[in-house]
Amino acid sequence: MFRCLAGLLIVCAAGAMCAEQPVAFPHDKHIKLGLACIDCHIGADLRDRATIPSVQKCMLCHAKLLRNDAEVKKVIGYADKGIEIPWVRVYGFSTDAHVKFRHEPHYRAGIACATCHGDVAKMSVAEPVVKHDMGTCLTCHRQRNGPQDCAACHY
Amino acid sequence: MSERTKHRWAMAIDLDRCTGCQACVAACHAENNLPLSDPESAAKGRAVHWIRVDRYYEGEFPEVKVKHMPVLCQQCDEAPCEPVCPVYATYQNAEGLNVQVYNRCVGTRYCGNNCPYSVRFFNWFDPVWPEPLQLQHNPDVSIRMGGVMEKCTFCIQRIKRAENDAKDEKRDVADGEIQPACAQSCPAEAMVFGDLNDPESKVSRMAGSGRSTRLLEELGTKPKVFYLQRGA
Repeated sequence: MFRCLAGLLIVCAAGAMCAEQPVAFPHDKHIKLGLACIDCHIGADLRDRATIPSVQKCMLCHAKLLRNDAEVKKVIGYADKGIEIPWVRVYGFSTDAHVKFRHEPHYRAGIACATCHGDVAKMSVAEPVVKHDMGTCLTCHRQRNGPQDCAACHY
Repeated sequence: MSERTKHRWAMAIDLDRCTGCQACVAACHAENNLPLSDPESAAKGRAVHWIRVDRYYEGEFPEVKVKHMPVLCQQCDEAPCEPVCPVYATYQNAEGLNVQVYNRCVGTRYCGNNCPYSVRFFNWFDPVWPEPLQLQHNPDVSIRMGGVMEKCTFCIQRIKRAENDAKDEKRDVADGEIQPACAQSCPAEAMVFGDLNDPESKVSRMAGSGRSTRLLEELGTKPKVFYLQRGA
């Protein structure tokens, strides 16, 4: 109860959506097993968007592993039906922000995923712990001498 | 800062090549998510075209000569739109682009009134696209909301993309690598985009041509769009 309330507060502060995920995906367990963020969120290193993996990606491992786990059963259910898991977005900019964020230049600059997304490696539930607003962006851009022209992001 | 001032983007348009086909207008609409218009709103002066083709007629029928002139934001060095904005929503960036920041714009329309080229457009309403046209939106370009000004950006999304690609490959942006949608679609190749800071670039050479002129140059706006025509 308290956790959910705290989560709500964080969510309100971060201005993102708060909702239950369709599958309780534990980030921490997967990282401990040796997976890296970009193994599933492909594109974060070379493209604009860090993508949400398809259920087929989950099945690469879970076709064999942990088939009897209650949560994994849900994943298998989606895969068998041939539909994607309706994940709820944790981070993201609204269209009103008119911001064209690209992951790739940030990866090139050596910014760790955790800088903007919090230490997801230690989270059992991904939560928006870092406020994604212009204050956060500009603070970092000033410290690291990144572009501070409005048109660097807004166009 | 020095790294970011190394480019100065400009365009040269060879009017002797332009046939007035309007491919640039159509390409711009598709690339930049321009709001659609209907005859009623167009009659009220609310149609949005970041680039238009002006027509000039010379002589008397049947000896008529038609001249075409594509007019887009001239990306002036001394832009009349900039100092009148009370909220700094339009400004000159380090690469010489006259930038419009939609988030900042409060819709006073002073900039549009002060533009001698009439290339700024106000969104009187939130734009709507009849289905399924919303599916062809360019994800690299904002959908502007009602209440803000908009204008040609020199396809800044393509400039940023090319600059980023060049940085990835640890090289400079090559001449001709960036093509705004209008220049790309021009069948006569009348429009050339490039870097004025590079004296060897095609646009620099065209700008220095004896045929080169600039629109309403006498106003002192120092435009970065160069028109080439005989007898200029």
